[in-house]
Amino acid sequence: MLRFTLERLVGMIVTMVLVSMMVFLIMEIPPGDYADRYAFRKYSGTGIAITEADIEAIRHDFGLDKPMALRYVDWIGNIVLHGDFGQAFAFETDVTKVIGDKVWLTMAILFGTLLLTYLIAIPIGIYAAVRRASFADYGLTIFSYLGLALPNFLLALILLYFVNLWFGADIGGLFSTGMSDAPWSFAKAWDLIKHLWLPAFVLAWSAVAYQIQTIRATMSDELNKLSVTAARARGVPETKLLIKYPARLAINPVVSTIGFDVNRIFSELPIVAVVLGLTELGELLLNAYLDLDMYVAGAILLMLTFVIVLMNFISDLLLAWLDPRIKLGSN
Amino acid sequence: MLKVENLSISFRTDEGLITPVQDIAFEVQPGRTLGIVGESGSGKSISTKALMQLLPGNGIISSEAKILYTDKSGKTRDINRLGKKGRAIRHIRGGEIGMIFQEPMASFSPVYTIGNQMVEAIRLHRNVGRKDARRIAVEMLDKVGISNPEARVDQYPHEMSGGMRQRAMIALALSAGPALLIADEPTTALDVTIQAQVLELMRNLQRDLSMGMIFITHDLGVISHIADDVAVMYLGTIVERGPTDKVIHEPAHPYTQGLIKALPSVDRLHDRLTPIPGDIPSPNDRPTGCPFHTRCTKVIAGLCDQHQPQILQVGEDHTVRCFLHEKQQRASA
Ligand SMILES: Nc1ncnc2c1ncn2[C@@H]1O[C@H](COP(=O)(O)OP(=O)(O)O)[C@@H](O)[C@H]1O
Ligand SMILES: [Mg+2]
Repeated sequence: MLRFTLERLVGMIVTMVLVSMMVFLIMEIPPGDYADRYAFRKYSGTGIAITEADIEAIRHDFGLDKPMALRYVDWIGNIVLHGDFGQAFAFETDVTKVIGDKVWLTMAILFGTLLLTYLIAIPIGIYAAVRRASFADYGLTIFSYLGLALPNFLLALILLYFVNLWFGADIGGLFSTGMSDAPWSFAKAWDLIKHLWLPAFVLAWSAVAYQIQTIRATMSDELNKLSVTAARARGVPETKLLIKYPARLAINPVVSTIGFDVNRIFSELPIVAVVLGLTELGELLLNAYLDLDMYVAGAILLMLTFVIVLMNFISDLLLAWLDPRIKLGSN
Repeated sequence: MLKVENLSISFRTDEGLITPVQDIAFEVQPGRTLGIVGESGSGKSISTKALMQLLPGNGIISSEAKILYTDKSGKTRDINRLGKKGRAIRHIRGGEIGMIFQEPMASFSPVYTIGNQMVEAIRLHRNVGRKDARRIAVEMLDKVGISNPEARVDQYPHEMSGGMRQRAMIALALSAGPALLIADEPTTALDVTIQAQVLELMRNLQRDLSMGMIFITHDLGVISHIADDVAVMYLGTIVERGPTDKVIHEPAHPYTQGLIKALPSVDRLHDRLTPIPGDIPSPNDRPTGCPFHTRCTKVIAGLCDQHQPQILQVGEDHTVRCFLHEKQQRASA
């Protein structure tokens, strides 16, 4: 397992290096740079004529005049060595300050959604397979097709409507009014959890429907395996048998798609965030791009992709732990 | 130790109810081996699965069937009354009756070590701690002829060869100390040379542990090496049953006679083998009357294709289901 872990770790680091280069390239793609934008903002309408030399000076101040390779090395070096993501030009402060809380809120939504997805889908999928062709099984199948058919922003709107109707509370957003600027405390964390379930539920919705189908199918296959009958023939009690033998392998496809789920949640989050009025990274990323605030955009892109790569790494390790044959294949 | 009567097995299928096993009866004596021989599809596997209530969800054991099992403490129970779940049947599964399957690879879970699965079985049926269970597992692996058992016990099934896996499977089944071992074509999936070794091993183990054994095979040649008694199955019925010597040397049923003719033997090495003509009909549309009449060379028109023959005694402990013997007996009476 150690060797396997090391191999995957090296793989992850290499991927991260390549990803960081790509992110940097993406930051460079939009025409113009922040020096132009800064000059335009600062001096337009003031009547002061600015020359190419002025912009060049601004460029120099921001360190934007260095060659690209050097800027990349500076950028990534500061991130890795000092956790310094550079300057947020538009906010005239550090990127870390601008992104700060939003990163943790985005992560809270991400992990809340993943947790909810797996906690609902895995037991239900297993149950449906064990009770195959029963009333409950058919009910769940219909429900999950519905789940796949309903777009989640629509679900968000519907839920928002009913939640407001029933609770009357300001359930949108991630915090109650007044809480969002309060310092972190137990009460604030609890307030977050109270608000988190709604976006988590909306984002988990289609994944739950999909994963129930997957687990039901793989679990049904696993249940018919001779090794399950053989274990039953040794007198293993039914519940223990189901968990130890077929269920362990039935969750493989779920584990192997963790990275995919993370990716999907990140892509769906911005729309859901708009509908539910959440503060997360997506909106900031968009604005940063419009402002050519490249270090903010870069930091966000880098963090999101890093989370995806990291979750893929974790998914690989989990898979190898669930099915030892995988390790053998890698050697 | 095991007495089966009136056992019929049906399955609910999309095409309706099928009954691939009809009214079979057999017995296993303590310390003896019963061989069940029959072509593939004749219902050998499901008959033995029924003995442990291991049929799939759509399988039904006839309610008049009796599966009387006398356990190690001498108590006799009808397994057909025990149901599929609960303590009583779990105690019998593994602890009283052990089972070995045809595919050694598929019968192990690929994600746990051999030792893990053995320790689990041992601790389910013997009152021992984890350490002792592991010691028993290592001893058992040694007993079935696996070299370096201390290391092998921590290996995964895919790290072993086919023959070794089947040895490990035997060790796994025996580790919980069953009084009766059911082996469902344990050598069919193995290479010929390894087949002979595993067969030899099973015969010795059965003798050493004085277990009862049910040995299933489609190869009558194997039966003479291992079984004390034999039941010949054809399309879900037992057509002939008796001591192996008698059945092999004085086969009473045309089907058994056909099987023996099809066996290669030293003195007939240069003759052509004579396989039984025709194909085995599908269990979904069994012929009426005697199931074998469609392929039988001695078929009596108007009788064999109309009526089901009854079980007839043709010798001490030797029975057959065939009208030919009914006629003979009537004639001699
Ligand atoms: N799960 C099942 N559903 C329906 N029919 C089955 C099922 N299992 C077995 N059968 C029927 O029982 C017959 C005998 O099967 P089996 O006992 O496996 O034969 P054998 O072991 O002698 O080769 C099969 O040919 C099939 O028609
Ligand atoms: Mg079989």
